Amino acid sequence: MSEVITQGPKVILKFNESILKEVEITQPEFTIGRRPDNDLVIDHAAVSGRHAKIVQVQSVFFLEDLGSTNGTFVNDRRIDRKQLLDTDVVTIGKHRLIFRDEVKNGQPSDAPKFSDLNSTMVMTGQKFHESRAEQKVGVVQIISGRTDRKEYKLAKRLTIIGSQDQATIKLTGYFAPKIAAMIGRRGEGYFVSTSEEVKTIHVNNKAVKGQADLKDGDLLEVKGVKMYFYLKEPNQP
Amino acid sequence: MELVYGAKSDVGLKRTQNEDRFCADPHLGLYVVCDGMGGRNAGEVASGLAVEAIHKHVLEAAQDGNHPMIGQYDPTFLPQTNRLASAVHLANQAIHRQAQHQPAYTGMGTTVVSALIAGQVLSLAHVGDSRLYLIRGDSIQSLTADHSVVGEQVRHELLTEEEAERSPYKHVLTRGLGVNATVEVELGEVPVMNGDILVLCSDGLTLGVKPRDMFQAVRREWNPQAIADRLVAMANAAGGEDNTTVVVVSLGKETRQGVWRRIWNRIPRWR
Repeated sequence: MSEVITQGPKVILKFNESILKEVEITQPEFTIGRRPDNDLVIDHAAVSGRHAKIVQVQSVFFLEDLGSTNGTFVNDRRIDRKQLLDTDVVTIGKHRLIFRDEVKNGQPSDAPKFSDLNSTMVMTGQKFHESRAEQKVGVVQIISGRTDRKEYKLAKRLTIIGSQDQATIKLTGYFAPKIAAMIGRRGEGYFVSTSEEVKTIHVNNKAVKGQADLKDGDLLEVKGVKMYFYLKEPNQP
Repeated sequence: MELVYGAKSDVGLKRTQNEDRFCADPHLGLYVVCDGMGGRNAGEVASGLAVEAIHKHVLEAAQDGNHPMIGQYDPTFLPQTNRLASAVHLANQAIHRQAQHQPAYTGMGTTVVSALIAGQVLSLAHVGDSRLYLIRGDSIQSLTADHSVVGEQVRHELLTEEEAERSPYKHVLTRGLGVNATVEVELGEVPVMNGDILVLCSDGLTLGVKPRDMFQAVRREWNPQAIADRLVAMANAAGGEDNTTVVVVSLGKETRQGVWRRIWNRIPRWR
């Protein structure tokens, strides 16, 4: 519990008109009550041991009453659970807490706003950061069999092995099936899947029907074509 | 691969309106479920617009390979997956534009879960918390991850699935179709096989019915329509808190059906 005035989200605790302290909210769950193990301790008879908490969900803050005796109020309205917006006044017993959530330059935060948590709603203005961390890339090296190239980098979500146009690893032998197998990407890992035309393939010389995960260094055999599967760092040659 | 489907959309026991819409077109291999949101009847309007726009675009593209696409082409996905993405972007535009013109519809939106099956590849595109499950052998797997606050927390391992179910924030979505001028659509590509069963559903189903119970229902019935009916009945038996829509697609394996049933299932249907 710091008493430093900062730019981050915080509550300013007041009693009558005096400011008692300012506390920064840094935890995803910030508890308020009379017991000493709360993040904000208010030692007053009108405050329950565990009175309320402020929950952070991404950039949005919610205030939740924890079944207190005297209730929790936001802008003088009693609540069970409500989103907190910059300058909202929370009343707990006889104390008031002013919720502040400014970003730099004293501008109000542009966090999404909504009031009723029971119907479906969509947060707007939210930027999505899909952390595409440097994931390893699958690489296939052909050892024997007729294909159009000797090495393939698996940049696509689904790599088709076969003779059809959409195939990345093109089988050039006579009678090569349109789709012999498919190598797919699921999150960090890869898997190989058999096709309708080719029911069995071999991974490390063991027969596989259906799907199997692929690990770095696995030997894959599909319709007579042998290849190694490797997982390489993205910028490795 | 032969595709046979069954579908049911039900208002549930607690709501007065059904804001879900679906479309199933076996010729195109396209299946879509949308769960609309917004005041008054805006939810119905949004989900209806989405389903229409998506179907129209995929149909036009099937007839004309050079049909223009919108959105950024992603070369890590196959052309049909990009096409499905384009359809969803168009739906977003259609809803957003309608909302701009009529104040009653401001802020309306919908979820979407869509599947396009071509050959042995299933392309999927979704926004929101409607889901697509794949049942194969003795397993049931969700192919989509919810775009909801609790869904994202589960994805980042901040919350377990059970905690997410009990969270009061579980109806808060992080993405919706039509709510903003542009939307980020999540795409996927999965190889599919004979015998696979797909279930597309709005969250009315998953609110009351757990995946293992869905699996039992799928294995207990002989045909997709019976599966769809049973799943909706289960959702209502669990309280029917929300609208429930289910589209069940059976891939390849011949199911026990009469000739007429098979013909009936080949006609594209709407709700």
